[in-house]
Amino acid sequence: MTAVLNIVRRNPTVIMAYLLAFLMVVAVSILRPGFGSPTHLRSLLIEAAVIGIVALGQTVVIISGGIDLSIPWVLNSTAVLMTVLTLGQNERMIWAIPVVLLAAATVGAINGLAIAYLQITPVIMTLAVNGILLGVMAGVASGGLNIGYERGAPPPIILGLARNPILGLPAVIWIWLSLIAAITIGLARSGWGRYTYAIGNNNVAATYAGVNVKVMQVLTYIISATMSGVAGIILAGKFGRAYLGMGDPFQFGSVAAVVVGGASILGGSGNYIGTVAGALILTVLTALLPIFKLPAAAQNIVYGLVVLGTVYLAGLSRAKESY
Amino acid sequence: MSGQTLTPLQTTASVERRPRTGERRFDVFQVIPYIIFFVLLISVVLLNPRLLRLSVLETKLNAAFPLLCVTFAQSLIILTGGIDLSIGGILSIATAIAATQMTGDPGSIIFWTLAILAAGALAGAINGLIVTKMRVTPFIATLATWSIWSGIALFILPKEGGVMPAVLKTIVQKGGILGLPKSLYLVVLLALAWQFLKRTRFVTRLYAIGSNRKNAHLSGTPIHATLIMAYALSGLLASLGGIYRTIQYSTGSPTAGDPFILTSAAAVIMGGMSLAGGRGSIGASLIGAFILLLINDLNYFLGVSTFFTPMVQGVLLILAVAIQSLGNYLRQRRLAL
Repeated sequence: MTAVLNIVRRNPTVIMAYLLAFLMVVAVSILRPGFGSPTHLRSLLIEAAVIGIVALGQTVVIISGGIDLSIPWVLNSTAVLMTVLTLGQNERMIWAIPVVLLAAATVGAINGLAIAYLQITPVIMTLAVNGILLGVMAGVASGGLNIGYERGAPPPIILGLARNPILGLPAVIWIWLSLIAAITIGLARSGWGRYTYAIGNNNVAATYAGVNVKVMQVLTYIISATMSGVAGIILAGKFGRAYLGMGDPFQFGSVAAVVVGGASILGGSGNYIGTVAGALILTVLTALLPIFKLPAAAQNIVYGLVVLGTVYLAGLSRAKESY
Repeated sequence: MSGQTLTPLQTTASVERRPRTGERRFDVFQVIPYIIFFVLLISVVLLNPRLLRLSVLETKLNAAFPLLCVTFAQSLIILTGGIDLSIGGILSIATAIAATQMTGDPGSIIFWTLAILAAGALAGAINGLIVTKMRVTPFIATLATWSIWSGIALFILPKEGGVMPAVLKTIVQKGGILGLPKSLYLVVLLALAWQFLKRTRFVTRLYAIGSNRKNAHLSGTPIHATLIMAYALSGLLASLGGIYRTIQYSTGSPTAGDPFILTSAAAVIMGGMSLAGGRGSIGASLIGAFILLLINDLNYFLGVSTFFTPMVQGVLLILAVAIQSLGNYLRQRRLAL
C-alpha cells in the first residue's frame, strides 16, 4: 500500500490521468444515464483490462528504454494457436495454455536477444518480428496449408473469463488486478524493478553499477510477449473466436496507454499505475464516440490528439535540447 | 557557418564538410546493397527472361514507384536521426482525396494533384512543427500523427472505393516516350532528384543534424527550419506516392499507406542507412526498395505464397540490420586499433 501511495505522491501526472478518466465517466453518466450502469461499466472495465494487460508488457519495455511493436501479431498468433490447440475443450487447456504462453515468451526472447546481443534497434527488430508473424499467420491460414484455424475455438473456461463473474467481478478483472499488484510491487520494491529503471535511465551507468544489462533487456521483452499472449487468450475468449487482425488496434493502443500514463518514451521513468489510468482513459474515449455520434474514424484522430496533448502538457517524451 | 569553433575531433560533422564525399575510405558494407541488388536482378531475370520485355518492365516500375517515393521520404527523416511513421497516414489521405475528388477534366486533375501535394506537405510540416517546436521525439510525434492522418483519411473515404479517372493512367503510366516506358523516366527522375539534392546545402544540413545535432547547432545550422523542411518534403513525397498508387489501382483505400511504414523503413535499412542518422545515401535507399521488390518477384517465381511476403521482408530486415551492426562493430574496432 505504501508503495502505491509513494508512487501517487511522486507522480502528479498519474493522478491527473485518473481524475480525467473519472470525470469523463461521471460527466457522461449524467448526460447519458445508461453509460454509468453497472453492466456497461463492467464491459468497459473488461475492455480496459485487455489494453491494460497488453500495455503492462509495453510499460516494462518502455521503462527499460526500448519499445515493443511486435505486440499485435504476438497477441494474434497466441490467440489463434490457443484455439487451434484446445479445439474448444477444457481438458486440452492443461497443456495447451503453457505451450502457447511458452511460444509467446520464446518470441519475446528472440526479440530481446537480437536487441541486446546483436544491437539491433528495438523499433526495427520488433517491427520486423511483427511482420514475420503476420506473414506466417496469413500464409498459414490463407495459403492453403490447413492448420484447422477455422475449426479452432476457445474452451468454455476461457470463454467464461470475460463472462462469468467471480465474487461479483469477471475473472478477467481479477487477473488484471493481481497483475497490477504484482507488477507495481515488482517495479517499486524489487531489485529487478530498480534494474529496469536503471537500464532505461542510462545503460552505460547501469553496466558499471554491475547490472547485467543484456539479460535484463531480454527479460523485459519476454515479459512483454508473455503479456501479449495472456491478452490474446483473454481476447479470444471475449470474442468467442480468434481471427486474423484482432491484435492490430494494440499496436498504437499499447504505446498510447503507456505514454498517456506518464512514462517517457526515452526510458527510465513511468510506472504501471499510470498505464492503468492510460488504459482507462483510452477505453472511456472509445466508448464516448458513439454517444456523440462520431464515426470510428474520429477514434484515430482523438487518440492521436490525446497522445500529443499529454506528451506536450506533461513535458514527457520530449527532447532536452531547445534548439 | 564555420567549423572553427569546434574542437578538431568534432569537425567531421560540421556543415562545411560533406561527410559523404569527404575522407571516404572504401567500406565494403557500403557496396553490399548494390551487390545484393545485382545478384537478385540477375537471378530474377534468369528465372524469367520475360522481365526484360519493355511491357513487363513498365508494369514492374509502375508498381515500384509509390514505394520509391515513400522510401525517399523516409530516408530524409532517418538521415536526421528520426523516423517518420506518419507517411503511411499521409499516403492514405492522398489516395482518399484522389479517389473521391478527381474527375477526368484537366482542370480538376491539375487542381487536385496540386491540392493533394500541398496537403501532404502541410501534414509533413505539422509533423516537423511537433518535432521541433513542441520538442516531441519523432517516434511518438509521428505515431500520434499517423493515427490522426489515418483518421482523416477514413473521414474522407470511409471504405475502399472511389474512382480514379482512367485518363490519368493513359497519361502517366501507359505507353512510352522514345521507346522506353514512362515509369522508367519517373524512376530515373527520382534518382536524379537525389543526385541534385545531395549537393544542396539543405541535405548537407540533414547529414549534420543526423550525425551530431549539438555540433550542427553550434556551427550555425538552422535546425528547426531544416527539420520542418525535411518533414514537409517527406509528406509531399508520400502524397506523390499516394497519387501514383491510386492511379495504378484505379481506386482508393483509406488504409493504403499502412503497409508502407514497415516497407519504407526496411528499404532504407536495406540500403545501408544508419537509423542513428547522419550516415548513408538516399540513392542506396532506392536500391534497397528495389531489393525488396525483387525479392517479392523471386518469391513469386519460387512459388511462395504472397501472404508470406511480410515474413520474408521481416527476416531480411533483421539480417540487414544484423549485417549493419556487424559493420559498425568492425568499424569501431578499426578506429580503436
